[in-house]
Amino acid sequence: MTDRASAYVLWIVVLAAVSLVCTAGIVWGELTGHHRLGGALIGVILLAYSFILLCLRKGGFTSV
Amino acid sequence: MYKRLLAGLLAATLRVDTLVARVYPDDFNPLYYTGGLANLFLTVLVLSGIFLFLYYTPSFDQAYTSVQFLTLDVPYGQIIRGIHRYSADGFMIVVLLHLFRNWFTERFRFSRDEPWISGMMLLTLTGFIGVTGYMLVWDQRSEALVAMTANAAAQVPLVGGWLRHALFGGTGLTDLLLPRLLFLHIGPAVGLYVFLWWHYTRIRHPKVWPPAVWTLFALGFVVLLTGLIPVTSQAPAVVSQRPQTLAIDWLFLTPYWAMRFLPPLVLIALAVVLIGYGLYIPYQLPETRSELGLKDSGVAQVIDANCTGCELCYYDCPYNAIVMVPSPNPGVTKAAQARKLRAVILESRCVECGICVGACPFEALELPRLLQKDIHEKVLSACQS
Repeated sequence: MTDRASAYVLWIVVLAAVSLVCTAGIVWGELTGHHRLGGALIGVILLAYSFILLCLRKGGFTSV
Repeated sequence: MYKRLLAGLLAATLRVDTLVARVYPDDFNPLYYTGGLANLFLTVLVLSGIFLFLYYTPSFDQAYTSVQFLTLDVPYGQIIRGIHRYSADGFMIVVLLHLFRNWFTERFRFSRDEPWISGMMLLTLTGFIGVTGYMLVWDQRSEALVAMTANAAAQVPLVGGWLRHALFGGTGLTDLLLPRLLFLHIGPAVGLYVFLWWHYTRIRHPKVWPPAVWTLFALGFVVLLTGLIPVTSQAPAVVSQRPQTLAIDWLFLTPYWAMRFLPPLVLIALAVVLIGYGLYIPYQLPETRSELGLKDSGVAQVIDANCTGCELCYYDCPYNAIVMVPSPNPGVTKAAQARKLRAVILESRCVECGICVGACPFEALELPRLLQKDIHEKVLSACQS
């Protein structure tokens, strides 16, 4: 694996971890009635997934 | 001068493309998917709009409270309302980007005038739908918008009274107002799809949806924004009091802000001129091929004997100018013997670009006044010089 690809792997791992934390936050928001927070965290997860897709592509793990 | 300006804007557009390409690969470049992003936002608007519609009551007594109930008491109601509101802004932003990009890259020439004209109609309808959406909330902003619109409509010569009646159901605030506004919000939204159909008719490979990376980004951004800056109503409308302030959404309500400085009739005239000029843009520059310095190649012709019905030309034509029809008899060449279909050129749609000639591996298409041997000679001479 090249250095460039390794850097993207690192970003993917970080973004996946952020998504996991957000998922926990959504569950907490649902249980405690903080729906606005839950909604915002859904947005964060979608953004994180978007950047994961970009990293997968730029790291050469997916093609056109 | 206009041509020089367009050339400068094209260069600037391409520079922006290059900058974006440093971050995003070509097939992820969001500027190539402004139309697809608009479709995405429109779909989100329709889905979230259906949800809002189920809770909304179009009457003076209950409109505001139904919106407040949805916002404050329904789980995720505020999020859905915010998604509807911010998706409308997103829709307008990408539609404007789409317009300017296609304008600066001159993608309104030849048969692309129809997508351009239908696009202008879509933009006009979008503005109207956005304003009626703000009116439905029936807070103080809604009341101010209704009053200002009614006043402006009444000043239109000859049809002013009729226009105000058509929009609001009569003079003053009648019980018909909110049901009518609800219809004027949803009805034109259906009209958007009619114009979208027209918008796509002449485009063979429209990018109707953005790539996943941008679908996720756009949805994520809207939902995050909804959580960070929640959408709220202003104080409820009080019919006996004229509201003193008007909170402006610059994407939809700029004309109402401009009413502070300009009479409504001037603004209406300005809007008519702007829309009229928008519709005129495709015809502003020389349009014939000779005026553009292009060879008059003639409408593409199918050499029936060679056509194998493979559909390559049909898929490659960007102008939807080729249809495949059942072939009653086989072709002459060996490859064309077993054909089930054959290509037919729709002359009114052909722009004589020659893409189909390049797409056909069986030499079954030609431009009558620009034959392949002419091109071959031209390329050879260019190479030799």
